[in-house]
Amino acid sequence: MGRIHVVTDSGSDLPVELREQLGIHVVPLTVQFGDEIYKDGVDITAGEFYARLKRETRMPSTCQPSPADFVEVYERIAEPGDTIVSIHLSSKMSGTYQSAVLAGSMIDPAITVKAVDSRAASMGIGLCVIAAARSVQAGKTVEQVLEDVQQVIDGLQVYFVVDTLEYLQRNGRIGLASALVGTLLNIKPVLTLVDGQVAPFEKIRGKAKALKRLRDLAEEFRQRHPGKALRAGISHADNQAEAAALVEELPAILGSDHEIVVGEIGPTIGVHTGPGTIAMFLYSI
Amino acid sequence: MDAINGLAFKNMLLAAARHLDQHRDRVNALNVFPVPDGDTGTNMSLTLNAAIKELEQANGVEIRRFAALLTRGSLMGARGNSGVILSQFFRGFSDGLAHVETEITGEDLAHALATASQTTYRAVMKPVEGTMLTVGRVAAEYATEASAAGAGALEVLQAALEGARAALADTPNILPVLKQAGVVDAGGQGLVYILEGFLTGVTAAPEELEQLLAQANRQPEGAAAPKLEQEVTVNRYCTEFIILGNGIDALAVRRELEGKGDSLLVVSDADVVKVHIHTDHPGEVLEFCGKLGELTEIAIDNMRLQNQEFASHEESHHLDYSVGNNVIEFPNSAVPADPKPLGVVAVVPGEGLAEIFRSLGVDYVVPGGQTMNPSTEDLVKAVSSVNAEQVIILPNNKNVIFSAQQARELAEKPVAVVPTRSVPQGITALMYYVAEDSLEDNLAAMEEAMREVKTGEVTYAVRSTVAGDLHIEERDIIGLAEGKIAVVGSSPTEVARDLLKKMVDENSSVISIYYGADLNAETAQELNELIRAEFPDCEVEVYHGGQPLYYYIVSVE
Repeated sequence: MGRIHVVTDSGSDLPVELREQLGIHVVPLTVQFGDEIYKDGVDITAGEFYARLKRETRMPSTCQPSPADFVEVYERIAEPGDTIVSIHLSSKMSGTYQSAVLAGSMIDPAITVKAVDSRAASMGIGLCVIAAARSVQAGKTVEQVLEDVQQVIDGLQVYFVVDTLEYLQRNGRIGLASALVGTLLNIKPVLTLVDGQVAPFEKIRGKAKALKRLRDLAEEFRQRHPGKALRAGISHADNQAEAAALVEELPAILGSDHEIVVGEIGPTIGVHTGPGTIAMFLYSI
Repeated sequence: MDAINGLAFKNMLLAAARHLDQHRDRVNALNVFPVPDGDTGTNMSLTLNAAIKELEQANGVEIRRFAALLTRGSLMGARGNSGVILSQFFRGFSDGLAHVETEITGEDLAHALATASQTTYRAVMKPVEGTMLTVGRVAAEYATEASAAGAGALEVLQAALEGARAALADTPNILPVLKQAGVVDAGGQGLVYILEGFLTGVTAAPEELEQLLAQANRQPEGAAAPKLEQEVTVNRYCTEFIILGNGIDALAVRRELEGKGDSLLVVSDADVVKVHIHTDHPGEVLEFCGKLGELTEIAIDNMRLQNQEFASHEESHHLDYSVGNNVIEFPNSAVPADPKPLGVVAVVPGEGLAEIFRSLGVDYVVPGGQTMNPSTEDLVKAVSSVNAEQVIILPNNKNVIFSAQQARELAEKPVAVVPTRSVPQGITALMYYVAEDSLEDNLAAMEEAMREVKTGEVTYAVRSTVAGDLHIEERDIIGLAEGKIAVVGSSPTEVARDLLKKMVDENSSVISIYYGADLNAETAQELNELIRAEFPDCEVEVYHGGQPLYYYIVSVE
């Protein structure tokens, strides 16, 4: 019986310490400013990325890892008989999952690749990956690990607030929220993910009110899941202050049995949300 | 005279319309608040003129046929709350005459006036005494008394007028706000003029009557606010066009154009970028964008001239901005042939606000509100021109809610009214409008949401008055919080700041300022900086509203 490895992509926004502690492998997407190409987390850090974004007039773009990139990682970490659980960005938003599936068919047939479409982004993937890695550490079978991951995917609620819809719009990730584009007022929409793509949740005027709404939504989530243990992920794009304020208030809202993971939105996701974004991911167990 | 024949009846109504029209400004001046949107006289006059329009052309002498024409005309033409009540008055009046063929007796007339009064009371949810309702009721009582004593039609009419005048004089004793403002009820005064006109119509010598009826009705004029320091000269060209070309960076376009004007919107799709900007230099904007790709669908409108048109009611139906500025629609997205489930009609003063409402998903903007209340017919037409199965109307003015509700009765498709009393309430309600949700869900969400916003308005006093402990001189700048005078001063900026100080509390997080047609962007920017400094915990947003008469409409939420 081989080992189980957990792989994800740089869209998962997991903090480095947690990744190392849980033995999670990350395949980077690439970020491009014009002809300059950077591997997320390898050639460019989040801090460098946002500083650059402020100066740039060109809109950066991202590119999924090629199947070969995945093959390289899979063959490096796994031996024949091993299984790889490879959890990725929503297939509605990125071709990363597709690359992973292709890579699985290209490598040594003795290595099994179970590619998973998280139907989420950022810490939404992160929470799936954490659940997977912990199940592996607990000695569960591949089937049990995948079941645990599926539970997170099915139960996940996502709410996020962006400073401007321009980045989502420009990069074609606006999804069902396109109706919000074109409003002359400075609206801070609370967005969500529906069926793996961005969708509008509510229109709100003012960032302060939008962030307060995130707290209310956490409270509503707890009320819908009485007596359950709650898991939360918070991620932010170059917005430590507002994220910290939210994280500080969450324990009182989520009740005694909870866990909160905080991550920084890296270049992969940041290209599409823009700086200032605050995202909240919730599920119950 | 014992009875009124068909010709005399017609003269009576036409004379009433002319007489009221001549005294329109005096009725307008009776507004309880000294704000420049006192338009009870205008509304009543326009309503009555609409009511008699078909009657005027009609031949024959059959009274009940005239009465039927009167009812339909007044219901469709009703404008503003006083106009709606008046239309109900005429509806009842006509109903009371429905059995009359050739001659109205004193008894018939008394009966018609009584039916008219009852109909007005039924039309309002909470009848308030000391208003047009009371004047109409007392007139009917006097008329009934005279008729019971065997009076003929002329005497009954005289009695009704006597009763109406007595009731009008008494209105300040019933409503303290009237006494404080030193006025009688405006709607009641209008009704007295109508009864006076009735009397003239049946008593005047033929040549006198001819002279009166020959006078053309005036067109309603839009009142102009006193001009502040300078004319609106900045960013006066609304410029819209599309750039065709692959890979145009909308963000870069936006950055380049940001310095060239306001109300900037740059929306991109796969291979088109749509640009909308208010600028004084449309040439430079086109020059720059022309380098990025082929330009098409170029439209440049002078908004200052549009503003002037806006003041004229005759033009208001075909104002450009109400149809041509759907800034989020791409040219290739054809209008769906099938009606969508839900649409929205909003009554909005000013072209800037109209654009904001359109950008929030409103399908049809009816210009008007503070100076010009749209008629029920305007709203019915707006509803039918929206390609939707059900339509929500946002009146955005307390004086339009009633006509909107009347439009609901007359429209041929289901209509719901979200009773927004101000522009900010309308905007807040739209935040919760979800086109895909059911009408019921939308109504519940929108009505709840509209209460979350506080509205303030800055305008000028049209006469001296006392409001609470504030002494107001004519031409003073006044600030109203939720429709009540809260601040008096000498400059719009200062009054707006003091008004906001009264409105903002520890729960406030967003202050929005919509500046009117009589201010320019720089003045509004000064207020912006002042308010940001005053309320550092709030987000402050300033937009061009373009509304007439009101220097600022502000909201706090």
